[in-house]
Amino acid sequence: MSYQLTSAILGLFLAGTILWLIRRDHLHSRHALWWFLLALIVMFLGIFPSIIDWIATQLGVNYPPTLLFILGMGMILVKVISIDLHQSSLERKMRRLAQRLAMLEGEKSIISTTNDGNKQIN
Amino acid sequence: MHKKSNEPIVILIPAKNEVNTVGQIVSTIKTRLALQVIVIDDASTDKTASMARAAGAIVLPLPFSLGAWGAIQTGLRYAFKHGFNTAITMDADGQHRADSIPALLAPLASGQCDVVIGAYPERGSFLRQFAWSFFRFVSGVTLSDLTSGLRAYNRTAIKLLASSNATLLDYQDMGVLILLQKAKLHVSEIPILMYSRIDGHSRIFSSWWAVSQYMLHTGILCIARFKHNKRKKT
Repeated sequence: MSYQLTSAILGLFLAGTILWLIRRDHLHSRHALWWFLLALIVMFLGIFPSIIDWIATQLGVNYPPTLLFILGMGMILVKVISIDLHQSSLERKMRRLAQRLAMLEGEKSIISTTNDGNKQIN
Repeated sequence: MHKKSNEPIVILIPAKNEVNTVGQIVSTIKTRLALQVIVIDDASTDKTASMARAAGAIVLPLPFSLGAWGAIQTGLRYAFKHGFNTAITMDADGQHRADSIPALLAPLASGQCDVVIGAYPERGSFLRQFAWSFFRFVSGVTLSDLTSGLRAYNRTAIKLLASSNATLLDYQDMGVLILLQKAKLHVSEIPILMYSRIDGHSRIFSSWWAVSQYMLHTGILCIARFKHNKRKKT
């Protein structure tokens, strides 16, 4: 079995999994675009692995696999940072929401006490 | 300049599992000063909320714990929404005296500053003093007591701190002071007396693990905001 066949199978399998997840609606459409592009790249490089060698020579990289690793790791880093950014914005929203809920509950208790008895709060 | 009215005034008390002290604190303030008291219940597992309610406070119950600052901000948002012109924050553990409150209000009433901090700088171990000097140096904040929970805010400060810019802070100390400083608000300190805690212990200085986490967190915060302009939009 040639290495081209192995890489093609791996690439197609990975791309297939990603596309399947997108189609099954497991990924929010915002993330789906990123993963869709990634699936295409993986599929393409899997079928034509020699492209990496060609790009590496053009960029003056002696050992082509390092280029692949560096690009791959770079993309992972970008993705992880974007996750943390998103996470922070969610955290901010969640805290605001919890505070809003507490405020509403406090307001509700004032209304019910003023309605029930003649107890004046203020 | 016209004299600003600092009324109505609200007292904000963040409380987490302070069932033994919160009722007494609320009723002391209510009887001595007749001010509106709001207790923000930071997801207590004991009867803190009902004790506070029984003592006459409005209780804002958080659905899950947001930490000291998250609770205080809840109160500040409430104060802003309901048109309070002054908000005073106090700890629920009985460290702060109700008698200190009028002294805090005086500088605000005259309009000479936006925030007044009740300071008790002598406290704290050598290590804590050392950490504070470092934070002061990095952030450019010149106050002596960086962590005091007894503070009075005017409406301008309430508005700033209720905004979502301040939501991701975790403690009512350096992060808040840096925000105030960037917004060019005037912060002043007045010396106050403090009781030793009736019950419980400092949430920040509870264990070595908590201390190092706090130091790291605050250190990063100071460095990140170092001569860095705050985003304007809320």
